[in-house]
Amino acid sequence: MKRSAIIAAAALGALVAAGCGSSSSTTGGGSASGTTKACVASIGLEAPITGPVAPLGQEQLHFAQLAMITDNLANKTRITLVQGDTQLNPAMATTVTQQFTSNNKIVAVVGPAGSQEVEAVGPLMDRAGLAFISGSATNASLTTGKYPTFFRSVSKDSVQGPQDANYIVNTLHPKALMIVDDQEAYSTGLVSAMVPIFSAAGIKVDHESVSQKTTDFSSLVAKVTPDTTVVVLPWQVAANAQQFGKDLAQEHKKAVIFGTDGLFSPGTFTISGSYVSSFGPDITAIPADSAIAAAAKAKYGTFGTFGPPVYAATHVVDEAIASVCKSGQTPSRANVLAAIKNTNEVTSILGQPIKFDSHGDVVNGKFFLFKIDSSGKYVLVPA
Amino acid sequence: MAFFFQELVNGLTTGALYALVALGFTMVYGVLKLLNFAHGDLYMIGSYVGFFVIQWFGGPNKLTIAVPLLLVIMFVLAALLVGGLGVAMERFAYRPLRDAPRIAPLITAIGVSFFLENSALLLFGAQYRVYNTSEFISLSSGIQIGSVTIDSVQILVLVLAALLTVGLRLLVNRTTLGKQMRAVAADREAAEMLGINVNFTIAATFFIGGALAGVAGVMGGLLFNQVTPTIGFIAGLKAFTAAVVGGIGSIPGAVLGGLLLGVAESFITGYISSTYTNLLVFLLLIAVMLVRPSGLLGRAQLQKV
Repeated sequence: MKRSAIIAAAALGALVAAGCGSSSSTTGGGSASGTTKACVASIGLEAPITGPVAPLGQEQLHFAQLAMITDNLANKTRITLVQGDTQLNPAMATTVTQQFTSNNKIVAVVGPAGSQEVEAVGPLMDRAGLAFISGSATNASLTTGKYPTFFRSVSKDSVQGPQDANYIVNTLHPKALMIVDDQEAYSTGLVSAMVPIFSAAGIKVDHESVSQKTTDFSSLVAKVTPDTTVVVLPWQVAANAQQFGKDLAQEHKKAVIFGTDGLFSPGTFTISGSYVSSFGPDITAIPADSAIAAAAKAKYGTFGTFGPPVYAATHVVDEAIASVCKSGQTPSRANVLAAIKNTNEVTSILGQPIKFDSHGDVVNGKFFLFKIDSSGKYVLVPA
Repeated sequence: MAFFFQELVNGLTTGALYALVALGFTMVYGVLKLLNFAHGDLYMIGSYVGFFVIQWFGGPNKLTIAVPLLLVIMFVLAALLVGGLGVAMERFAYRPLRDAPRIAPLITAIGVSFFLENSALLLFGAQYRVYNTSEFISLSSGIQIGSVTIDSVQILVLVLAALLTVGLRLLVNRTTLGKQMRAVAADREAAEMLGINVNFTIAATFFIGGALAGVAGVMGGLLFNQVTPTIGFIAGLKAFTAAVVGGIGSIPGAVLGGLLLGVAESFITGYISSTYTNLLVFLLLIAVMLVRPSGLLGRAQLQKV
């Protein structure tokens, strides 16, 4: 009797010990991977998915989705993307932002695309403590400290403007040029950065201004004199620049168009001989990006330079969320914002490191210059 | 001097477009005393019709028919479809409010404008649709006089606008329908008592006005290449301005107003700066209104007391 009781007790004890061992291995397993529960969060994406620059917005959306899928697999996270269509319109961007800020599941935002949109939504994001990273808003005034939760994965117009202006002065040597703004913050900011450099070089500058809704440029084109060999268009609507180029040809004007990053649209702006600067490189020429480029091309077709910076921005947010989860915390707006501020990627899809300064700018950011050949292809030229 | 003539050509071309849209605007006002704020959106629909006709026949790079035939189909189809849309607008949105206070059809017109714009947005999307005119009408075709260039599309717009204006004048002054339109414009009730079918006359007015706007829309697409759901707003605003400057209700006034507006825009852009174009053009509108409140060719309305 005594012997049976001991065996039963031992068996019971063994069963209890086995049960305790199982529990600790789950926990242990959990501890070993860094997450005791799934890392779940939502990111908002503000992009001009429809509207006048829909091709660019679609590209941004695709690359954001690609980054999210890739990072979820790599980090074993469950991050979801919530889309918000802004049509590059500040009023619509404000509506989308209000929706995002009132959605507590959204811990950070990628976008918006346009500088004028950032100006509209910056205060809302700040009030909500929501970090937002733009892959294309380049106006220099955005990072003067007025939007503490704003970051960008690209360089700014105070780099683009002088870089482009110096190229025009030193390489194209115009005696006279026309520069036309489109009455938006992005455009007027670039004009302010470029005109002093042209004037200091002794170039005669005709500064004009048209609304983004303008479609008739014939009268403006008629003002292009034989001395005017360059027309600078710091615009955001590539279709308008294409029409301007056609009007130049129709009125037999020889001036070359020099566009800024807003015109980078290989399917839409194809005027041969034109120049276009861009905040993003051609990632198909970066060996380390071959897998991403191939995946993007296979899934979404051809792309330009608006997608990769949004991929970079989304990746920054994904990594911030993953690092928060790894530290045992639940992602929130506050801890994700803090993690983004500490971003220090040695390399990125853009072929350069990503680290933010105290105002949200990428440290050591730069721009790239392309020239359009006779087949409409954008060819990288030394800046 | 060449610069002056180039800007004149550019201004007259744009002005001709404004005039065609203004004609429909002023005709409807003349007959119904209604400011049809949805009229600019008829221009937008006309532009889309032209775009889809090009796509139907293979697209700008691979047309399956000759260009002259394509243009005829574009203009005729735009005129018929948009004219029909104008009739539908009148029948369902304005006729029930014919005897309502003046504010009611005005508000309805704004509502119809939003309806058309957003319907186009829903059906066609917000992305730019491009005619790519230069793919099927060569940029180098046209006339060159010294350094002044008048391309084929500009010639087409000017000639067609002139023909349509003359045709409209003949219709209004020499035909029975035109007489009926003038009678209804003068006194609708009296016209009805005289046995004129007022509903038919008003519907015909909307058809003609819509047709003109549709044709102007195709011209706009050929000239400016781009079509979006929002182009109607600017076109409508310019047409309204042209009609008012010329004298609302006056057909010659609408033409004069449109041409003046186009030329003013062109010369201000050319000789002053594009920055001030809209500012100075609308200052001009205010100035004309202050000096001649009924417009350049309008007549002061007599009110019996």
